[in-house]
Amino acid sequence: MRIFKLLTGPQTLGRGPLFWSGFLLVMIVLALAPQYLSRYEIILFSNFFISGFLALSLCLLWGYCGILSLGQAAFFGIGGYAYGIVALNLLNLHENTMLAILAGIVVPALFAAFIGAIMFFARLKGVYIAILTLVVSLLFQTFLLQTADPSYTIGAAYLGGFNGLRPASPDDPLLPSLILGFGSATIELDGRSYEFFYFVLGLLCLVYLGLRCLVNSSYGYLLVGCREDSDRTETFGYDVRLIQLSVFCLSAALAGLAGLLYTAWGTYVHPKVFDVAPNILVVIWVAVGGRKDLTAALIGAIVVEWVSLRLASEGEISLFVLGAILVAVMLFAPEGLVIKLASLASSLRPKRDRAAATRVES
Amino acid sequence: METATTLFAFFYQFVDNAGYLILAAVGLTIIFGMMGVINMAHGELMMIGAYTTAFSYHAGVPAPIAILLAGVAAGLVGIVLERLIIQHFYRQLLSSLVVTWGISLMLSQGFLLAFGPSILNVPTPFGSLAVGEQTFGVYRLVLAGVSLAMVAGVWALFAYTRVGTDARATMENPKMAEALGINTARVYALTFGLGSALGGIAGGMFALTATISPFFGVNYTPLAFITVVVGGGANVVTGLISSVASLAGVQTIFNNAVSVYIGYVAMFGAALLILLLLPSGISDYLERRKMRSVSRTG
Repeated sequence: MRIFKLLTGPQTLGRGPLFWSGFLLVMIVLALAPQYLSRYEIILFSNFFISGFLALSLCLLWGYCGILSLGQAAFFGIGGYAYGIVALNLLNLHENTMLAILAGIVVPALFAAFIGAIMFFARLKGVYIAILTLVVSLLFQTFLLQTADPSYTIGAAYLGGFNGLRPASPDDPLLPSLILGFGSATIELDGRSYEFFYFVLGLLCLVYLGLRCLVNSSYGYLLVGCREDSDRTETFGYDVRLIQLSVFCLSAALAGLAGLLYTAWGTYVHPKVFDVAPNILVVIWVAVGGRKDLTAALIGAIVVEWVSLRLASEGEISLFVLGAILVAVMLFAPEGLVIKLASLASSLRPKRDRAAATRVES
Repeated sequence: METATTLFAFFYQFVDNAGYLILAAVGLTIIFGMMGVINMAHGELMMIGAYTTAFSYHAGVPAPIAILLAGVAAGLVGIVLERLIIQHFYRQLLSSLVVTWGISLMLSQGFLLAFGPSILNVPTPFGSLAVGEQTFGVYRLVLAGVSLAMVAGVWALFAYTRVGTDARATMENPKMAEALGINTARVYALTFGLGSALGGIAGGMFALTATISPFFGVNYTPLAFITVVVGGGANVVTGLISSVASLAGVQTIFNNAVSVYIGYVAMFGAALLILLLLPSGISDYLERRKMRSVSRTG
């Protein structure tokens, strides 16, 4: 019962039986996707789900705690590189990538703890934090682009500059897919397989539900408290800086998870993941969907990814249109399209529900 | 003779780095320092200036006039953007940041669609200067000189002209300014346009040294922003000069001692350090010191 209360608390949209039956329906439709989608589309959807993790990470940070990071892709990239480097080095010893997965989550979180501690304890203004995170991402890109020299190797991993991470010598194994399990009981999840699709879908579902519980817990209320009025939260005796730092690390860990899944999905990671475009894409997903709600941000990510894929077949207008969509949404529906639609839908329903639905938006 | 050359090389590099930072930041100083709007599309306005310069130059317009045309083009684009979009985002810092980032994406991708990824070049004028064994491009020194002239011009404009006084009044207290008969909407549009025009001129001047592509502006925006933030808003001119002097100094030293990349990293490190010690920028600290010494002697 308590879990259900956390899942449907006031910090998240979607509480009635209508929402949960819809959720179940979407899950069934997605679970049956291999029946009616081509192999190619399944591979693409696996990638969309990976974007979903990244969108959730920014939604938690920006939507709930009010800290805008323009460099969310930096943690994505660090996670991807950490996974690749550890996996390349340990694959011969362990025959699984469990430690690499751990590294892909922990390394970005530790890095976030380092720069976050500096930024939050200095009480830098929100806009400075936004720009500094972007600068960090661009510095990583600049650094990795100039690592084409063969001396840039970490054990069996060669950073490879513009061409991306690769094994140091041709005899070493290539960047591995996810290999779960221990000892001889392992399963390899090739990024192009149905198993990978189901694994990522299941994991995304778990993370989504877990985050719903988190933001409706007392910690979630603290996050919103920091967003709405940090001075007041401080007067109540909470250390705002610690709350901000903790959510920054958590968000970095989630972005790192997305990054390691991306590396394992394509068995490839390259410096372009730190570029301006991926960073701005994350912001577009979350702003267009609706930053103040997990469901909205998640839908935003998957729909925008799908739209940009459609546009990509029309030529190179994709990013231009996405920029235009972002500007239009900021002008006409600053709270996000999904949240706007949800509040429109709830205004058609009886008054009792309406009060509950609008509480999140205010 | 050897040491003299090395010293001059060091000085030259410092002047080059400093001029680069001032030019990149001077337009943004007005837009962020005075209006409090973060314009993530500043680099793209510079890109528009660079394209205007290159196209007019290749159409036979002399370089100095081509650069002025760049300012006009970027300024007009800035005014249109302000009227259409940015005026709705005053006093919403994070939203203004996101919306201008969207604009920057539209501009760079729009230019990519219109003109393709091809790279334009404009030859660098003035030739070079020989000091000892080495030669140095004269244009870089001209660039730094022009950047200082631009700062002086901006300062004079805001300190001594009617338009400048109106602008300062509007930024200080828009309601009061409106009550005194100042058309604040016009002031906002003109101030934004001026900042954009300065960005366009800077882009035009860089066009003579760099290759021009739709992504010309991407790297300038964060750099310009950091320069402005480190300087602070208390006094735009001293802020800009002190910030550029310290950042370019650190960059030049580390650039020489280690590598170009470490030079950049050190500059951002220095910026972070200054912000930790002086969260509202160097000029704010200088102004407060001045106030304190005035109150002590008085």
